[in-house]
Amino acid sequence: MKALQILIDGFAISSLYATGAIGFTLIFGVSGVLNLSHGSIMVTAAVVAWLVAGSFGAGAYGGALVGIAAAVIVSLVTYGLVVRPIQHSRTIAREEKEIFVLTGTLLWGIMVQEAIAYIFTNNPKTVLPLIGGVVNLLGVRTPANEIAIAAIAWIAMGLLWLLVNRTRGGKALMAAAINPRGLTLCGFELGSIHLLVWTIYGVLAGVAGVLLGSFLGVSSDNAGQLTASAFSIVVLGGLGSVTGSLVAAYVVGYLESITAYLVNPSIRTVPVLVLLVIVVYLRPQGLLGRR
Amino acid sequence: MKTGHWMLPAAAAFVGLAFNAANAAPPIKIGVIAESSSVSGASIPKAAQLAADEINAKGGVLGRKIEIVAYDDHNSATDAVRAFQRAAREDKVSFVIASYISEVVLALEPWSARLHMPMITPGAASDEISHNIYKNYNHMKYVFHGYLPSTFIADSVCDGAKDLLVDGHGVKTAVVMSEDAAWTLPLDNEYLKCLPKIGIKVLDHIRLSPDTTDFTPIFNRIEAKKPDVIITGISHVGVQPTVQWAAQHVPIPMFGVSSQATTSTFWKDTNGATDGVAFQTVASPGVPVTPKTNPFTNEYTKKFGATPSYAGYTSYDDVYMIADAIKAAGGTNPDKLVTAMEKTNYVGTIGRYVFNGKESPFTHTFKVGKGYVTGLMVQWQNGKQVTIWPPDVAQGKMTFPSFVKLPK
Amino acid sequence: MRTRNIFLSALGVAVLMALLPFLGVGGYVLGLLTSAFYFGVFAMGWDLLFGFAGEVNFGPSFLIGVGAYTAGLLNHYAHWPIVACVPLGALAAVVAGLLLAVPALRLSGPYFGLVTLVAVLLLQNVIVIFAGFTGGEIGLDLPDVLAISSRVNYWYALGLATVVGLALFALSRSAVGLILQASGQDAVEAAALGFNVVRHKLAAFCISALVSGLAGAMLIFYLGTVSTDSVVDIAIGVQVIIAAVLGGRRTILGAAVGAVFLIVAGELLRPVGQLSSFIVSAVALLVILFFPGGLLGRVIVREGA
Repeated sequence: MKALQILIDGFAISSLYATGAIGFTLIFGVSGVLNLSHGSIMVTAAVVAWLVAGSFGAGAYGGALVGIAAAVIVSLVTYGLVVRPIQHSRTIAREEKEIFVLTGTLLWGIMVQEAIAYIFTNNPKTVLPLIGGVVNLLGVRTPANEIAIAAIAWIAMGLLWLLVNRTRGGKALMAAAINPRGLTLCGFELGSIHLLVWTIYGVLAGVAGVLLGSFLGVSSDNAGQLTASAFSIVVLGGLGSVTGSLVAAYVVGYLESITAYLVNPSIRTVPVLVLLVIVVYLRPQGLLGRR
Repeated sequence: MKTGHWMLPAAAAFVGLAFNAANAAPPIKIGVIAESSSVSGASIPKAAQLAADEINAKGGVLGRKIEIVAYDDHNSATDAVRAFQRAAREDKVSFVIASYISEVVLALEPWSARLHMPMITPGAASDEISHNIYKNYNHMKYVFHGYLPSTFIADSVCDGAKDLLVDGHGVKTAVVMSEDAAWTLPLDNEYLKCLPKIGIKVLDHIRLSPDTTDFTPIFNRIEAKKPDVIITGISHVGVQPTVQWAAQHVPIPMFGVSSQATTSTFWKDTNGATDGVAFQTVASPGVPVTPKTNPFTNEYTKKFGATPSYAGYTSYDDVYMIADAIKAAGGTNPDKLVTAMEKTNYVGTIGRYVFNGKESPFTHTFKVGKGYVTGLMVQWQNGKQVTIWPPDVAQGKMTFPSFVKLPK
Repeated sequence: MRTRNIFLSALGVAVLMALLPFLGVGGYVLGLLTSAFYFGVFAMGWDLLFGFAGEVNFGPSFLIGVGAYTAGLLNHYAHWPIVACVPLGALAAVVAGLLLAVPALRLSGPYFGLVTLVAVLLLQNVIVIFAGFTGGEIGLDLPDVLAISSRVNYWYALGLATVVGLALFALSRSAVGLILQASGQDAVEAAALGFNVVRHKLAAFCISALVSGLAGAMLIFYLGTVSTDSVVDIAIGVQVIIAAVLGGRRTILGAAVGAVFLIVAGELLRPVGQLSSFIVSAVALLVILFFPGGLLGRVIVREGA
């Protein structure tokens, strides 16, 4: 019974982690950027969805769509206002761009987080569930919304797969992740590839944010934690590896659930942190990373 | 950094003279330290400002206006200590109204003593705050505890539970679920003592991390014990456990302390998931605990668009009590102010305030019980906060959403 | 500017600062500068590691926290005097730093960053799990404080910041500093030149840990309490990093200026309440976008660098 509960609950949370982390790893793969404003973008999506669905009466679906759109906007602003200027800067030495992007996105993330806290308070917000009610899943009382969440997360990831493997733009994207210079030689404009990847990233982070908001509720205070968790998953899976992130998201999600159910909810993240340290020391390229 | 500081005293004297000639004496300043982006904290400076405006409209205190100086401490002890020092040394306030977080108040307490700066907390609950005063009265006497100590809060919940749950619904068992924080240590301690006394057996005692976001495993563990009720002690968390409780249709009612549920925005924040949540408080919108309660709630709601949190009521009363103490002391000398505060006998929005003296281990907390301040049990019902206990002020009966099951 | 001139100017500024209490500067401003100086020491320690050794330490608050909690626990339970607790705290930070650094220095870039971040999260978890002993989220009150007088507290902090600042600055301009810088910029080349890169980085880590732990331990005896939100929380580490980058990396002294700027700006912005963190972050972002050298980047530049 408990095992089944862990299986169902862990699946939903892992799917959420995966959706958020895949966008994060994609950005790293294509432009070498670790976006530390990741959590703030997720929170933006959730809070906007909450606001539009509740106060403006747009309903759960309308709210979710506007929330995702908000995440895309913030994502593009992150790229245009913070990441791009640093990457194109002439005064910043090449080997220092990485730390500048880290600090820049970190500061930007704090700005977004503080702005949300200022306007909407840091009290957690819950996005209207897409589907209400509970269903009995093999004896486990499961909110219907939880099933919808897992399904939507997988649909989003499935669409990404189709995009990457079945469209020209998507293939260019993957190529950029492997060898940016070679792609330019083939006549592709790297600039538009970056716009594309930051848009895709915005959609994924937005979906993850809205779903998390309707599953557990999200506060602006969670931004840092969400960034750290995406960072951990991505490193665990291997930086830049999409499949690795997917696998790592499930490892993390289930390890957390097992700890929370069988040991103590207060230490749910500890085993993940320890695992992370072990993996980084023994296999720095991550579970499925390539060197 | 300051430059030209040697000119400051001269300039200040000049401005002071001009001010005196043109108008009355300089204002009396009251510092308010609280986190303004949190639900419970936001009400503290707002309610204090409201009280100050009212007092000033009637001519102020000793012919001087009251000025509220607000500081945002981001709920951090370090920021709060810094704000406290600024209030005392730079802004020269005469009294500080500080925070609803016990950890923050405990960090400020020694500074209140060191700087001889009188201070009152409108919302922190830990028993330690008053025990520290008791243990070292001469040093610590500048601190006043303007909210119920946790032990009394627990007793108030037990009193309500006896009538509503045990006698009303035949409840026999409970699980205590509290967040891990300074204020819940004495709260839980007293829960574990007073619940058995009213005939409720405690099956499990869960202390959860205030950083918890997924409460499913906790509800799962509680449900496995099959209790009749969950007795809560939550303040830092609120929205998430409530939403997940409703989303998962946890069939056990939640009853106890849930500080965030005291504000009217809680319904919207939880999308109505709070329907059926019963919580202890000292005053509630629409309940005439004293003749001052409703006028305050109405005025506050008109001005700020939401009802005050529990700490709003006390913060509003604190400003009036401080003003009275200044009047009685004939000025702002800290020692005289403390003596005057100790003689407080004031009917505010939550009842009559009379502070315990240094002989009580709960030094400088206000007296609780009939004729003083009494607790209420309030329940969210269809978007409204309905007072359900005690019977003489109750507005309705306790009722739960259909997924909640009670013994009878 | 030449090393000698910078050294003397910095010393001059410190002496002038030491006289502030006699010039009528009030207790409040002194209190503000006191916390700013402690933060300055944290930021200088971080700069030594990042600016020179090229390692991005996301967890300065791990070292600060270990120093602070060791000192705090010793004072709270064993009632040892502050003069014993503070050095032991610093020592514990060095030991913890070594435990972290010996394996972690094999890693680079984001991996090293993540491991240091995880160290902070683990420390925070350990403190919360053993709440009965450490005070958990609530924190511990300390029987002793450094001083009640704001002047004396100010001098303690200023003294620490001056000694650490000048020592680290001198170190950064010494041969060791040059090797560190070379290792940070191109480890392979530095190794090819015959320098033991790892040993130098390890030394940098130990020194960084020593000053961080020292300042952390002294800070809590200034505050009178030790709690996770004042010495361990990620937000503390973020502030330290912002201060160092803002002040100008690879300058040591710039980090201290950045910390003072950050804390004073936060305080000046008090009237805007909640928005102050937003504005401080925005200013910091603008600085790194438009003046990547930081506040002191232009002043303290090595000749030829």
